[in-house]
Amino acid sequence: MTSPPHSPRRRSFLQAAGVGVGALLAGAGLAGRAGAAGGAPRLREDPYRLGVASGEPAADGAVLWTRLAPDPLAGDGHGGMPRAGYDVGWQVAEDERFRRVVRAGSAVALPELGHSVHPQVRGLRPGRQYFYRFRTQGHTSPVGRFRTAPDPRSARGSFRFATASCQAWYHGYFSAYRDLAAQDPDVVFFLGDYIYEYGITAANMWRSAPLPGARHEIETNTLADYRVRYALFKSDPDLQAVHAAAPWILTPDDHEVQNDYSDEKSYYGLSEEDFLLRRAVAYRAFYENCPLPALALAHGPDARLHRRLRYGPASLHVLDARQYRDPKPADAAEQHAPGRTMLGAEQERWLYHGLRTSDARWNLLLQQVGLVRVTENRVDQWDGYPAARQRLLDVLGEPGVPPAVVFTGDCHRSIAGDLLADFADPGSPVVGSEFLGTSIASDGDGAPTDNYTKDWMQHPWMRFYDGRRGYVLGHADADAVTAEYRAVPYVRADNRAAGFTLDRFLVAHDRPGMQKVS
Amino acid sequence: MTAPTANSAAGRPGSGAAPGAVSGLAAAGGLGVVELTWQPYKTRGAQLVDHYEVYELTAAGDTLLARTLFPHHTHRVGPEPLTRRYTVVAVVDSGARTRPARAAAGTSERSLAAGRPVARVGEFDHRGLEFALSPNLSAQYPAAFPQDVDFRHGTSDPARDWCYLHPGPGDAWAGRKEHTFTLRFDLPAAPERDLGFALWLIDSHATAAGTAELALNGRVVKTLEFRGGATRGSLEGDAARSGSVLKPSSYELPLAADLFTAGENVLTLRKTGGSWIAYDALGVFAAE
Repeated sequence: MTSPPHSPRRRSFLQAAGVGVGALLAGAGLAGRAGAAGGAPRLREDPYRLGVASGEPAADGAVLWTRLAPDPLAGDGHGGMPRAGYDVGWQVAEDERFRRVVRAGSAVALPELGHSVHPQVRGLRPGRQYFYRFRTQGHTSPVGRFRTAPDPRSARGSFRFATASCQAWYHGYFSAYRDLAAQDPDVVFFLGDYIYEYGITAANMWRSAPLPGARHEIETNTLADYRVRYALFKSDPDLQAVHAAAPWILTPDDHEVQNDYSDEKSYYGLSEEDFLLRRAVAYRAFYENCPLPALALAHGPDARLHRRLRYGPASLHVLDARQYRDPKPADAAEQHAPGRTMLGAEQERWLYHGLRTSDARWNLLLQQVGLVRVTENRVDQWDGYPAARQRLLDVLGEPGVPPAVVFTGDCHRSIAGDLLADFADPGSPVVGSEFLGTSIASDGDGAPTDNYTKDWMQHPWMRFYDGRRGYVLGHADADAVTAEYRAVPYVRADNRAAGFTLDRFLVAHDRPGMQKVS
Repeated sequence: MTAPTANSAAGRPGSGAAPGAVSGLAAAGGLGVVELTWQPYKTRGAQLVDHYEVYELTAAGDTLLARTLFPHHTHRVGPEPLTRRYTVVAVVDSGARTRPARAAAGTSERSLAAGRPVARVGEFDHRGLEFALSPNLSAQYPAAFPQDVDFRHGTSDPARDWCYLHPGPGDAWAGRKEHTFTLRFDLPAAPERDLGFALWLIDSHATAAGTAELALNGRVVKTLEFRGGATRGSLEGDAARSGSVLKPSSYELPLAADLFTAGENVLTLRKTGGSWIAYDALGVFAAE
C-alpha cells in the first residue's frame, strides 16, 4: 500500500506513537507461540463472554477471533482480565464434536490489544464448512462455524450472503440478526456503524431495557471508552449468534469513530491533532473487537481497511469511504469541483485497477454511503462528491469490466436503485445496481414510508424503499445476483419479532439493471 | 471501577508501571477555567495512550477530575479566583500507568459573576440543566416560547421561563429568524458606578455559532461574536462532567452606569447571526 500523504500534524503523531506493530501480531498467530501464559494469573470466570467470530473467508482459510473478557463491561476497558499475556489455543475441525481436527495453533492474547486474538487459518479446502473453538487455562469457548469461499476456479460456484449495518444497541433489539442467523448464509458483509459513539442516556435509550449505567453516558473518547462500548454492543446474544454462525467481512463507517468525520476532520469541535488521537484509539478498538486481518491493525491513526477478496464467482471490493475523503463542501462550487474525492487518490487507483482487471463474473462493491444520486444536500453521501462518483461510474461502464452490484449501509432504510452512466441523463445506460441495506436497530422501529421516501423515490432509476429495520439476504452465482429485503416489524419492545420478506430483486449477468422477482 | 489516586500503581496482579512520567505539565488560569497542558507521553512501538488521568491535589487528598485522550484538559471552575494544584498520569493500552507528573499550579481569573448579583439567570457552574426544555427538547421551542423568552428577575423561574437553547436565524427548526431573549429587572435607583455583564455558555454550534446583539433599555451595547462549540449542547447539558465533549465559552463586559434607570430595566440578547447557543448562566453584577 502506498501511504497517504501525511500532514505535519499526522507525522508528529506517528513519531510520538511509533509505527511498529510486530509485537502485537502475536495475537494473529504470526509471531509464534510466545509462552505468555507462564506467569499469568488464573482465570476463574468464563473468559468467553463476548463470544467467538470468524472473518475474511478465503478458499483456503479464514481469520478467527475472540477476546478474553470474564467481566466484559469492566470500566477500565480490560474486560476483567489481569494485565498479562495469555496463550489461547484454537482448533478447526470438520465436525462439530472436533473428532476430525484439521488445523490447530496458539495465539497470544495481550493486554495491549484488549486480550483479543485474530489467528489466521490456512490450508483448508474451498467451499467447506468448518467448526472452531478456543481454549485457555481450561476454559473452552463456544463453538463457531464458518464456510470457506468457493473455489474461484469453479465456474459454477455460488454462495448465499447477507449484508448488515447500523446496529445502534440502544435503539432496539437485534432480532433482525436472529432472523439472519436462521437463514444460514455463507458469509455476512457488515457495511458500517458496528458501534455508535454517542453517550447512552434516557434520551436515546429506546431499547426496552434498563439503562446500562453512568459508564456509558458519555461519548466515547478514550481507548477504554471504545473498548467498553464494543463490549456493550457485543453483549447482545443475537449478534454473538450471527458471529458464531458465519464469517464476516467488515468495513467501518463513521460511528466507529465519530459522526460524519472526514479523514482528519471532526465536525464536533476537535482539532485535527486531537481527532487523529481519537481515530487511532477508535481504529484500534475496531480491530480488537472484530474478526479482521492483521493488515487492518492501525498504525497510529492510519489503518488499511480497503481490501479485495475473491469469493467464488465474485470479486469483493471492500471500500473505505471515511479515511481519505475530502471534507464536506462549503458551497456548490466546492461540491462539484472535479478533483473532489471520496476514496482518496490511492484507493481510487486501486479500485479502478481491480474493477478493470477482475477475472471474476461479478464486481461486488461493499461500501458505506449511498452511491446513487438522491439530492444535492446529502453531502455526507456520494451526492456530496459528484465528480468522484462520475469517475467510478465511468469505470463501471467501460467495456469488459464485469457487471457491478453495490451493497451499501448508512441510510437506515431498505432502498434499491440502478446506477446510470450519467445521472443527469435519465436515459443513459445502466452501469450497475445498488442495494442499500437498512439498519439492524438504528432509528428504532421505523415505518414502511417516512419523511425521506419522496427524496429517494422521486427518481426514475429508483426501484424500492422501506423504512423498517432488517437486512439484505442475497445469492450470487455465475448468472445472477439476487437481493431479498428482510425486515422485522419492530425492535424496541423486545427481541421476539419475526422476520419477513419485503421484496426481491435480481440482477442478471447479461442484462444491466435490477428486475423485480415476483 | 474504583477511582485510582495519582500515586496508585496499576492494581492488578502481574502488573508493572509504564516507564517515566508525563512531562511539561503547565496550568494557566482563565475566566472560569484552569487550562492544563502537557507533553504527549512518548509511547513505544505500536503502543497507544489509552487516556490521561487528571488530578487536583488538595490537602484532603487527590481528586480525579477527568480521563482524557488528549494532552490537555480544561478544568471548569467557578467565578471566584482560586489557586489549585494538579498532576497527570498516563495510562497506556495495556493498562499500565506512569508515575504522576510534576505538579503544576494555576489560578483562575475573577469573573464579573463573582460580584453582587443585580439580576441573574441560572448558576455559573458549566451546566445548563436548570433551564426549560433542557437538555434536549429544543424542538419544542417554537411551541413553548412562541413570543421568545421574556424573563423577569425575582418572579420568573429558569426551569419554566428561560430556554436552555437560544436559536439563531440559521436554525430551520426555529423558523430561520432572529430570536430575542429578554431579561427584566428592577433597580431602586440608577447605579452610581458601572455594572458588569457576564454570559457563560455550555456550548454553541461548532461552525455557525454566529452573533448576538446585546442591548440595555433599547440601547445597543455590543455585538457578541460567539466562539465555535461542539454542536452537542442541544442534546446534553453538563459541560462539567468528566468526558463531556461540550465546548463552553464566556463573554463579560462592563455596562456603563448611565445605561441603567431607576425602576424597570430591560436587557435583551437578539441572535442576529448563525445557529444556536446553549446557556450556562447570565446576569448583571455589581463589584463588591
